[in-house]
Amino acid sequence: MSDQPPVLDQQVLDALRDSVGGDDAFVADLVATYLTEGAAHMAEMDAAAAAGDAAAIVRPAHSMKSSSAALGAARMSSISRDIEFAGREGRAEGLAASVQEARAAWEATVAELRARGLAG
Amino acid sequence: MSEPVALIVDDSAVNRMLLARHLGSMGIAAREAGDGKAALAALQTSSEDVAVVLLDVMMPEMDGYETLAAIKSDESLRQLPVIMISGIDELATVARCIELGAADFLAKPFDPVILAARVRASLADKRLRDAEAAHAAAQAELLGTIERQKSELARFLSPQVAALISSPEGEQMLAGHRREATAVFCDLRGFTAFSDSAEPEEVLGLLREYHAMMGASINEHGGTLEHFAGDGMMVFFNDPVLQPDHVARAVRMAVAMRDRFAPLAAKWSKLGFELGLGIGIATGYATLGRIGFEGRYDYGMVGTAVIVASRLSSAAEGGQILLNPRAHAAVEVIVFVEPVGELQLKGFARPIPAVNVVGYRSPGDPIDSDTELATTAADL
Repeated sequence: MSDQPPVLDQQVLDALRDSVGGDDAFVADLVATYLTEGAAHMAEMDAAAAAGDAAAIVRPAHSMKSSSAALGAARMSSISRDIEFAGREGRAEGLAASVQEARAAWEATVAELRARGLAG
Repeated sequence: MSEPVALIVDDSAVNRMLLARHLGSMGIAAREAGDGKAALAALQTSSEDVAVVLLDVMMPEMDGYETLAAIKSDESLRQLPVIMISGIDELATVARCIELGAADFLAKPFDPVILAARVRASLADKRLRDAEAAHAAAQAELLGTIERQKSELARFLSPQVAALISSPEGEQMLAGHRREATAVFCDLRGFTAFSDSAEPEEVLGLLREYHAMMGASINEHGGTLEHFAGDGMMVFFNDPVLQPDHVARAVRMAVAMRDRFAPLAAKWSKLGFELGLGIGIATGYATLGRIGFEGRYDYGMVGTAVIVASRLSSAAEGGQILLNPRAHAAVEVIVFVEPVGELQLKGFARPIPAVNVVGYRSPGDPIDSDTELATTAADL
């Protein structure tokens, strides 16, 4: 797993905090939004994988990729991107395994955000 | 104008929040939409204050490309700058969006400095376009006003003078110039007695008929009406529009007036009123231009010819068209005249030999207005 991107990219997080003038309250709000939205996207990806519906997975995977990248959740973003592309190409096989991987990354991301005091 | 508002269209709540925050620090309020359909709905209900749209490429329901196409095909939204927001994987789509009219694009994750620069550029662009549109609207309104004034002016002035006032060389012409011109005076014999004994309604009715007839004759022959007062009128030719045949035109107009007047005179005669039309025509050098005082100017003709024409008109009996020698010389090949003797005109030391126009030398003469019209049509 060493070739995987980090769960959280500290540089991105730092740049994000700088860009909002060190407003920690805003960053905390942003993370809270991410967690709520992300949980919903994860649930949608689970459902799509369970149904073997490659098309239905594109949208939540895309949003997850985008939001995760904004917060420096690099691993989550990278896995979501792979899933989005697989979904766009209609590759249903291996979808369940990929989503399982995404689920693990998601939990790691949530844990890491909590560990840094960014999530309640 | 209201404060600029940016419409953020992105399916990611995190992205919307971040963009709204960055825009807020630039003093730009944000409105948010989660997909293209919601964005179009927001624009259709209140697009006026929206100054820029930040549009995500990949969205559920209606994606960025479709949304952009809808914005660009809507006449009222077309000018709205749209900045595409795209992930690194979507650059091919972004290129298509730029071709479709997107103003710019912004890569995710956002760099606030680049975001600020692109949004400011789009806003400046929109302000410029709005200013241009406002200017064009003001210009159109001004032109509309001028056109209205011109058409209103044309109802009060001779068409030639109205055109002159609105033309670029008008000021120079109005300032005054000297040239040869032909003055025509006409008034009614017996009008004073008529207006003394007739009912006011009859007087006004007669004047209406008379003016309508005279006006038609003036316009047909291209005369410039300087003024009319009761039954008297003064018309001149060869100014402001140059007319090489100005004397012939004046005489032709006078003959037309006399011909048209005859049935009217016959009608009034049956009612017991004896009215005759006397016309005086004189050609000579004169000064033409703006005459009057601040607040009230006329476009007028000043010179001896004007006075001679006026005196000839007074001297004319009903049905006579009197010419001064210079006018006579110019039209003697086309009209028969009879001498009326040397007229001692008021204000002139020497008597003036005047002639009365009897009729055209030939009915098919080129001076005949119908023939001339036919010739003109053939020339075209």
